[in-house]
Amino acid sequence: MELLESVNWALIAPLIIIQLILMAVALVDLIKNDKTNGPKWMWAIIILVVNIVGPILYFVIGRRNH
Amino acid sequence: MNQWFILLKKEFLEMSRNYKWVWVPITFILLGILDPLTSYYLPQIIDSVGDLPEGTVIQIPEPSAAEVFIMSLSEYQLIGILIIVLSTMAIVSGERKSGVVQLILVKPVSYFSYITSKWAGALILISSSLFLGMLASWYYTGVLYEFLPFSDFLAAYWAYALWLILVLTLVVLCSAALKHPGATAMVTLITVFVLNLVGGSLTHALEWSPTQLPLYVSERLTTNQWPEHIWPAAGLAALFTFAFLVMAILLFKRKELAD
Amino acid sequence: MALVRVDNLVKNFKEMKVIKGLDFELEAGKCVALIGANGAGKTTTLKMLAGLLDPTEGTIEFEGEEKVGDHRKLIGYLPQHPVFYEWMTAREFLEYVGKLSGLSVKEAKERTEELLELVGISDAKNRKIGKFSGGMKQRLGIAQAIIHRPKLIMLDEPVSALDPLGRREVLELLDKLKLEATVLFSTHILNDAEEVCESILFLHNGEIIESGTMEQFREKYQQSKIDLVFKGCAENFVEKFANNDDVISIKHEGNKASLYVRDLEAAKVSILNSAVDENWPLYKFEISSISLEEVFMKVVQK
Repeated sequence: MELLESVNWALIAPLIIIQLILMAVALVDLIKNDKTNGPKWMWAIIILVVNIVGPILYFVIGRRNH
Repeated sequence: MNQWFILLKKEFLEMSRNYKWVWVPITFILLGILDPLTSYYLPQIIDSVGDLPEGTVIQIPEPSAAEVFIMSLSEYQLIGILIIVLSTMAIVSGERKSGVVQLILVKPVSYFSYITSKWAGALILISSSLFLGMLASWYYTGVLYEFLPFSDFLAAYWAYALWLILVLTLVVLCSAALKHPGATAMVTLITVFVLNLVGGSLTHALEWSPTQLPLYVSERLTTNQWPEHIWPAAGLAALFTFAFLVMAILLFKRKELAD
Repeated sequence: MALVRVDNLVKNFKEMKVIKGLDFELEAGKCVALIGANGAGKTTTLKMLAGLLDPTEGTIEFEGEEKVGDHRKLIGYLPQHPVFYEWMTAREFLEYVGKLSGLSVKEAKERTEELLELVGISDAKNRKIGKFSGGMKQRLGIAQAIIHRPKLIMLDEPVSALDPLGRREVLELLDKLKLEATVLFSTHILNDAEEVCESILFLHNGEIIESGTMEQFREKYQQSKIDLVFKGCAENFVEKFANNDDVISIKHEGNKASLYVRDLEAAKVSILNSAVDENWPLYKFEISSISLEEVFMKVVQK
């Protein structure tokens, strides 16, 4: 547990926070959108499980723009 | 001019409705801070996670602040460009494909304003995301290693932004020329990565090429001095950006809009 | 006075000649129907008038156009399948295109409210267009076409995708639009044209094969028809009318016969006289005017 103590939380906390924002925004958008490329549940899992990359993948590939 | 701002305002509204104004800056910030964090904590992570025999000493030479900052720039060179291309590949062709362009261009809207307002919207999004991302990287590098002079950051930013804007403008041009967004992504990605590859080995033949800009930024950060060819390369980048934009407008005008 | 003058309009897509030289004028303040079967070239013609397609040959001149070749300020256009920004609300979209058309912010706002009311979607004005039904999109489409008070309103098949109720409402709306501007709308249904328009342009295979006022058209093509049903073969009884001056043509099939006649009264008398004199085994005698669909077929086959 040496690692946890030595970590500079002032630097790690922003990382975690913006990561959560990204995930939340992706989920909100997923819920509001009627159609996605590929099944919705699959994107929900990808957004929740794959760190950072999941939400970005959703916005780049999964989202259907009009 | 008034009409141009109306079009630009619509681009901004669209980019906030589809959350581009959230996820693109966040992605660029994450790309910027991941490298300083991982390279700083890497020895400790290996130490605590790795199941190494007692007494093993891992020697990882501590990188300099400039090296860490350059490392995070290389993330933009790959993933950053990928994001720019994928998020803007439908910038012109999308509205044409869906058909909404018919309702817009049947109004007295100039082709010039239509294309340039879209370009400007994407440019503002990308350049401000890059600014935030590089600023975050600079700050994290500073806290974890050592603060580089802010002027170094600014120098790196403008040259890098010039390069990414050129890539963005190439995407706009392809999107005006090609019907399918996937084709736009393919053409731009292949062009950029092939040019980068060629530029990496033919540094002498291509010393004026805008594709060398990222290289020159690294040089500026390590040697504290711009290499001599930065100015022609930067000038050409601006010139190509302008030329691509003009070509995009001309192509868009010529295309049959109604099919 | 002509609002629009079209001269020798030609459009080729690659090798295919889609429009083969149209000449016509649109009078200010009239409603004109562009009639034709699917593929006759109606949409291509409208798109050229709207400036969305460049003609291969020929000219389109507008009365009072500011810049040669760009008359977009003067026209409003509704495509057959209008597509909007689905992420905008109806109100946002109308204000947006209003401002693009040169209205001030205040004018665009006022005009938007007015039009939402006129086309009957003001209840849904703050809803995203992505959630709109087909009929609502059609009405929004009409609203966007007229927001800048154009002199010429062009609508491509505005009613063909609608259910009977929606169709009725849109036709009534067109009736109102006529008061403010010249209306040109395309349709493949003659009844719709007849209901609102004074004039027609009949397009077939990229050519105008008939044009003029609705009355002229009707007089020329609309004939009366007498249907007869016999017990037994009809042919023997009706064939002698082939030389009758009042009869234009005869069709018979089995025990049924139809006589297309010029002068209904005269024809009726002579047919009934024959029936009595020759003691026809007649089951049915019916007078009907031929349907517009049949007129349509006639003109097209010409």
